[in-house]
Amino acid sequence: MSDKRSERSETPTHKKRYLEILGDTIVPNQLLLSIIISIAISLGGYNLGLWFFPSIASENMITSYSLLLGITGTVLSLLFCSMIFKPKRILIEEETSFESMREVFEDLQLDAREELRLIEDDSITQKELEELGVLEHFRALGGEEKK
Amino acid sequence: MSLLVTAILFALIGAIVFSLIGLISGTDETAVMVPLTLLVILLGAPPAAVFSFFMAAVLAKHLTHAVPTALMGIPGDTTAVPLIDHATTLRRMGMPHVALRKMISGGVIGAFIALPTAVVLGQFLGQFADFFTSSAGIIFTLAALLIAYFSPGKWVSVLMIVPFAFFIKSLDLMSFTLLDKHLTISFFLGIAVGPMFSDILFATSSTAKRSIERTEPKEYHLAPETKAWKGYFPNPLKILTGRQKFFTAITTFISSLTFVFSPVGMTSLMGEIVGSRTKGAYKKSTTSLTVMNGVTESTYIAEAIIPLIAFGIPLSPVALGPASPLFNAPPIFTVEPVNNLHTYLTSWDFFLYGAIGLVVATLIAYPFSMNYARKASVLVMKYVSQEAIVAMFIGLACLLAFHEAQLVGIALTFTVAAVGGLLNRILGIGAGVQFMVFYASSWIMMTLFGF
Repeated sequence: MSDKRSERSETPTHKKRYLEILGDTIVPNQLLLSIIISIAISLGGYNLGLWFFPSIASENMITSYSLLLGITGTVLSLLFCSMIFKPKRILIEEETSFESMREVFEDLQLDAREELRLIEDDSITQKELEELGVLEHFRALGGEEKK
Repeated sequence: MSLLVTAILFALIGAIVFSLIGLISGTDETAVMVPLTLLVILLGAPPAAVFSFFMAAVLAKHLTHAVPTALMGIPGDTTAVPLIDHATTLRRMGMPHVALRKMISGGVIGAFIALPTAVVLGQFLGQFADFFTSSAGIIFTLAALLIAYFSPGKWVSVLMIVPFAFFIKSLDLMSFTLLDKHLTISFFLGIAVGPMFSDILFATSSTAKRSIERTEPKEYHLAPETKAWKGYFPNPLKILTGRQKFFTAITTFISSLTFVFSPVGMTSLMGEIVGSRTKGAYKKSTTSLTVMNGVTESTYIAEAIIPLIAFGIPLSPVALGPASPLFNAPPIFTVEPVNNLHTYLTSWDFFLYGAIGLVVATLIAYPFSMNYARKASVLVMKYVSQEAIVAMFIGLACLLAFHEAQLVGIALTFTVAAVGGLLNRILGIGAGVQFMVFYASSWIMMTLFGF
């Protein structure tokens, strides 16, 4: 992940090289190539099947087998394209802590004391949070506000 | 006996494939379900096995699409959009795993309540089937009006019904002239992959490109690992509080009956009703998530099953979208005349093979999401590129269109995808409306122009 960042900082004014397709970023040329590969392998597999299977399979199964060969091609193209074109995503693994819990309460304009009271009034929820080990966080936050 | 084994086998395939697809965030339901279900049907799977496959696929996908929703705060697909706010609250409080557990437990309960309810209601509505099938044309048209009005685009969708019907019918005539047969699958695929294709069209237009240009790769924030239960298969009933079980049972039962409304709409509505009756941020978020995911599941299942049992014609948003191949996949299944799962399976079969699908999906996807959610999403995010995913679905659409009508099929699919996709993306005329107009187009053109 770190080398991705440095790569970007070397060319800060580089053109907008990514496009967002279906909610994720791609590199245009790589997408074009992937589509060509996928169509070629899928249709190639299907037509290969139409040509090859008549010699070994019964007549009513030819198209089904060919379709199966085509879909195998589609799946292979998924694996192949994933191998040659790496994903363009930045994955940040978060460490959520007690601090951010306070932020959440502030952002949502929640009353931590009220929240704690509602949790403690309900024995089932209280037990659930206790088992999760987060009840103390709620207690700490609620107690803090009391002061 | 062998049919049972076949059904279980297909359910297994559906559950495994769609457990993985669910992890890919933002995948469009219709674009994914339609081509793969069509494939299973065209490969010649027995109708009962097709149904088991579909049910397993739906449940498995919904159980694993909860993973990106809970862990990354991005909707697994359109049906998960209403859940985002509550999921984000819990994620920021450091409890994404709680959100995930509640969601998928609610989903499992919702699915098992919806199946019997939908079968009984479908059976009951079946007595009106003759009326419905004999006046299908006008019913499709009225339904198109209704669905159009409730689509994101609202009035523009209503306004575009006649022009879009004209467009469809013209393409139909053209391809009939060329091939001497009417095409269906190519139209379906076009509508289904439309939104994906319109993004690609944007990318190739030097003016429209600007709206999707990005300087940096998209960032994903993944919540930390936390496992708080023992064993491999946590009991979904124990994960929920009594109150949550009660609300989930009631709301999923109700939403199994309202099969003509959109799943997203019902999910928001029921979540809002229950959420407003629950105090405290933690309790509100967890209870809403449980109920909402349960409702998504039950609406989905009921919307597929009820029209299948009762009418054999697709009369609900899900039946028109993801479940459409179960009604119409020529030459194997057709709507006019009705020759599809409706004719091949009895109500009992629907129950039995539906249950097989749901049980298999629960056994595969539920413990998978519970135990390996984070590891699996890291793997998908790191190693499967979006280029490969988009290319795969375009390739699949080409394959199936070619299978139906060679190059004419491919040309037709991408013509429909271009027009339908842009109408969908820019004007908000959803895929459901477009499917409905496809069915209504013959009647509309006949009534207006006598042809």
